[in-house]
Amino acid sequence: MMLELLVNGRRLREPVEPHVTLLRFLRDQAGASEVKYGCGEGVCGACTVFLDAVAVNACSVLAVQAEGAHVETVSAFGDVASLHPLQQELIERGAVQCGFCTPGVVLGSIEAVRLGLAGDRMTIRRSLAGNLCRCTGYGKIVEAVEAYRDREGAA
Amino acid sequence: MIPRPFDYERPRSVEEAVSILAGAGGRDAKVIAGGQSLVPMLSLGLARPDVLVDLSRLELNGIEAVDRRVRVGATTCHRTLELDPEARRLLPLAAEAARHVGNPRVRNRGTFGGSLAHADPAAELPVVAVAHGGEVVAHGPGGERRIPLAEFFLGYLETALGPDEVLVAVELERPPERCGVGFHEEAQRADDFALACAAAVVAPDGHARVVLGGVGDRPLRFEGPTDELPAAVEAAVEPEEDAFVSAAFRRRLAGVCARRALARAKEDAGA
Amino acid sequence: MSVVDERPARVVGRALVRHDALEKVAGRTRYAADFGLPGMLHAVLKRADLPHARLLRVDTSAAKAVPGVASVLTAKDVPENTVWVDVPGQTFQVGALKARTNVLADGVVRYHGEPIAIVAAETEDAALASLELIDVEYEELPVVTDPEAALEEGAPLVHEQGNLIASWQLHEGNVDAALTAAHAVVEQSYETQFVDHAYLEPEAGVAWLDTDGVITVRAATQVIEHFRDLARILRVPDNRVRVIAPYVGGGFGGKEDMTVEPFLALVVQRTGCPVKMVWSRSESLLAREKRHPMKLRYRTACDAEGRLLAQDIGIVADGGAYALLSALVLLYATTCSQGPYRCPNVRIDARVAYTNHTPASAMRGFGAMQVALGYEGQMDLLAAELGLDPLELRRRNFLERGDTLAVGQTLDTHVALSDLADRVEAALGPKPEPSKRGRRVGRGVACNLQPYGRCVWLNDWASAWVGFELDGTLVVRIGVPDIGGGQASSLVQLAGEVLGVDPADVVIHIGDSALTPLTGTTTATRQLYMSGNAVLQAAGELREELRPLAAELLEAEPDDVEFAGGGACYGERHVAFRDLIAAAAKRQVPWHRLSIFRAPGGDAWRSEASWRGRVFPDFTYGCHAVDLELDPETGRIDVLRYLAAHDVGRAINPQSVEGQIEGAVVMGLGYALSERVIYEDGINLTGAFAQYLIPTAVEAPEIEPIVVESGEGVGPFSARGIGEPPVGAVAPAVAGALADALGRRLTVLPFTPERVAEA
Repeated sequence: MMLELLVNGRRLREPVEPHVTLLRFLRDQAGASEVKYGCGEGVCGACTVFLDAVAVNACSVLAVQAEGAHVETVSAFGDVASLHPLQQELIERGAVQCGFCTPGVVLGSIEAVRLGLAGDRMTIRRSLAGNLCRCTGYGKIVEAVEAYRDREGAA
Repeated sequence: MIPRPFDYERPRSVEEAVSILAGAGGRDAKVIAGGQSLVPMLSLGLARPDVLVDLSRLELNGIEAVDRRVRVGATTCHRTLELDPEARRLLPLAAEAARHVGNPRVRNRGTFGGSLAHADPAAELPVVAVAHGGEVVAHGPGGERRIPLAEFFLGYLETALGPDEVLVAVELERPPERCGVGFHEEAQRADDFALACAAAVVAPDGHARVVLGGVGDRPLRFEGPTDELPAAVEAAVEPEEDAFVSAAFRRRLAGVCARRALARAKEDAGA
Repeated sequence: MSVVDERPARVVGRALVRHDALEKVAGRTRYAADFGLPGMLHAVLKRADLPHARLLRVDTSAAKAVPGVASVLTAKDVPENTVWVDVPGQTFQVGALKARTNVLADGVVRYHGEPIAIVAAETEDAALASLELIDVEYEELPVVTDPEAALEEGAPLVHEQGNLIASWQLHEGNVDAALTAAHAVVEQSYETQFVDHAYLEPEAGVAWLDTDGVITVRAATQVIEHFRDLARILRVPDNRVRVIAPYVGGGFGGKEDMTVEPFLALVVQRTGCPVKMVWSRSESLLAREKRHPMKLRYRTACDAEGRLLAQDIGIVADGGAYALLSALVLLYATTCSQGPYRCPNVRIDARVAYTNHTPASAMRGFGAMQVALGYEGQMDLLAAELGLDPLELRRRNFLERGDTLAVGQTLDTHVALSDLADRVEAALGPKPEPSKRGRRVGRGVACNLQPYGRCVWLNDWASAWVGFELDGTLVVRIGVPDIGGGQASSLVQLAGEVLGVDPADVVIHIGDSALTPLTGTTTATRQLYMSGNAVLQAAGELREELRPLAAELLEAEPDDVEFAGGGACYGERHVAFRDLIAAAAKRQVPWHRLSIFRAPGGDAWRSEASWRGRVFPDFTYGCHAVDLELDPETGRIDVLRYLAAHDVGRAINPQSVEGQIEGAVVMGLGYALSERVIYEDGINLTGAFAQYLIPTAVEAPEIEPIVVESGEGVGPFSARGIGEPPVGAVAPAVAGALADALGRRLTVLPFTPERVAEA
């Protein structure tokens, strides 16, 4: 079938089979290798994307279910030349080591702050429970999210 | 690692969905909505349907009070139950339980109807549904069929839904005036499936209902005086033993969850 | 010994933003799976469903006939499928051992998930469809699942030569006499479990045939030197194989042995086509090599003041179905099994055996961390026996500079344990009260030692190239794989420090066995020590090469020339590197330098006796403390506070050091509380992240790293390695805290809620 959707603001029209996950579609057909395969089970969060402004695990959505939707990856929020404030906080606080979990962490955190679910450290941690990290121990990530939240003046 | 091929249908109405399911013949047709249970199962090779019938675009979401019941549309997301102020007001028990379902990403997309239809015994929302009581509203070739929640869960991943039926809504009985509700879960990590969980409703006269998840092949309901229930629960449940957790420990947790859920419900009633 | 630079540092010691972090946070980094070539095939592995079986038949004919399939390979298609490796670590009683490694199973499978065949096809779908049509007929063989049982007479054999992989034995002094004369003796057994690295990036790579028939493999690896192993497997010359390591999404030892490389290289050799392989998380959890479980038996004796008199130690480790690095892991365990404590009489009997479990090999801590549960448990038991504070008992036994370990290594750098213990105690304060009725609070402490740098008799070396461009910007070329620990960015900092160049003006090219000077494995917490010293050396030599010319241009004495601010300076005068290099170019003065750093070596292992003596370049010491609250009814544990103190010699990038400590502590907490690979008769049951439980942000506590800089390490600027050391002290600290809360000591890892509740 033909799939039409927006990816990071760009209109795409691609043939896709129903059994292809959104993750596979984004990586193989939309050139969005910033969305990572970590587990395929919806547990690790490395494949987090925004689907119509809601954070989802791309591995747990079929590409065809994203028909007509707007998918945003970490690339929609910042790039090397002009980082999103949260990205700035993450790198300045040493919260990026191997970096594989990082795109998912960025999106998960942006949603948490947007929804007002980053009020204190424990709430931030609960909001990040679906973003696994094996390198950092999470401490500096939580600090970065706190700092970003304060910058945004959000709760 | 990736799902194997299948056919895909996106019906524009419940009737169309029903007719596709009814016409599947010998082919294995599965319904998908949020897909948060199903898609990972497809990727892990644990499910290999021939046809997927996608309900996610049907307007089946929404929560509204109808008489003494709350009607929850099948495609209402866990996240709505967890965060929407009106949902939390109408269904505080579901709001508390929804917090424990998967992780935020899963809750953003997973649906109430999907959770009930999937019927994993360690899932939180079926337990809440049975604690409320009420009916599942299904549509089949014969039209609407109402299935009492007490008769809905039949076993491990097994419900009373027919293969050609679609779950469109759940009508939950609101607890009587001045009843309190409480939920407690024990899981190894924050967002894991429950090792055991309990949803309780306590009436001001001391009569209570507590429903246990994770310790049988379906939600298990107990009724009686609040103080006697935890022991009754622990005596009655016969959980499965597996390589990860022993039956004895699950039984113990069942008692603890029952007691703590009831304590919260009692506090809620007093409040 | 390190390359010492005495002047105060300008960039070393600063918490600089790592150069790679920028691209990682923007999602721009191209990891192994984020790469493709036109006409690329997809390869998948057919893996064994049984833990021990003869392969009566492997029929690939139907698989080959699937449209889109380019190749289906089995053992007979591999030029050199079986490689035999000398295993050090045999006593004379056992004799020498050669260990087999197979690329694909050859007639027998020995663990659940062992690769049997490779399918390469035009699409992933075709590859998987083909995989399903490979018909395997098994004849089940008896399964060995316990290393002690494996070593008994009559046990089923995993390999024909016998089930003992390696054994290290030593007896210093007279343990039996000391035990008899002791004031107190405590005896206890401890058990550790199989765990998985669980890096976020699954094993992955892409390979292709490049010019001159060079088979090129770009894979997530910690070791680019595997090009030699690939050449051997393919029966081609070493110079016809190239391995490239992109930035790796976590290694922790799991990408130290080869993963996808041999399969990719084989398909390229057979088909001439580029090929990609990405393992599923299930595959990785089921079949990737794990940490060695160990059964530890300790008898420990002390005098009336609590000074250790004897340690009698037995270690039996489960090596799984293939030897890989088991002998070395056991050596690390043996060397460190007495803990960071002085002890005059030590007897160690350490063995590692084959079983039909997943092969065990390198994982962060590498044997030295498992034994910490034993030696720290013993210290706690002795403290209880004598009525002493646990940290006080340890203080009375801490190693110091000049002491000699039982293995024969004399410690010649500062041992900061007392200082670390002081700082931890000062930071602790009173033990908190339980947060509600029924809960209990416990406090535990643990000290550890972990080697950094490889065994000295491996005669380790590392090379680095540092050079300027004509415009004065700086380039570093070095074969180091960067697995997330800031391996590359530390080198940028070091080069910038020595030459006075802003790290932002330094570009580093890493991880290419054809194009960057080899620097050895990113393992054994050796990179900062080895590649750091190599870069320091190369940059220093380059600076000295340019000094006379700079002096001339600045009209100064050579010794008065400083390199700073992107050039050379003397007083008010400054010549930018751009101009200095332009002048150098005209005079044929070299403006780049290749240098080799050679670690002080030792005699190659030749006999039972010669492994004793100096084994490692140096150690990193640690002291941890944890306060936790537990719910006795449910076994749930909340870590209230975690302190981790380490002497890192010198912190090249303090933020990186903290990050390593925090990450290692959380990995250690997973090991202590929730992570385990579960087997049933050799079948691995934990094949998903939903079952293999690594800590999430919720389980991870706030961690307080305490970084001490003693100024004495053998790394650059006197740094010590920090990648592995913190992971070892965590489980013992938690064990101590649980014992404090429960009044009973748990000795079998992990301390799951069930085990805690049943205690």
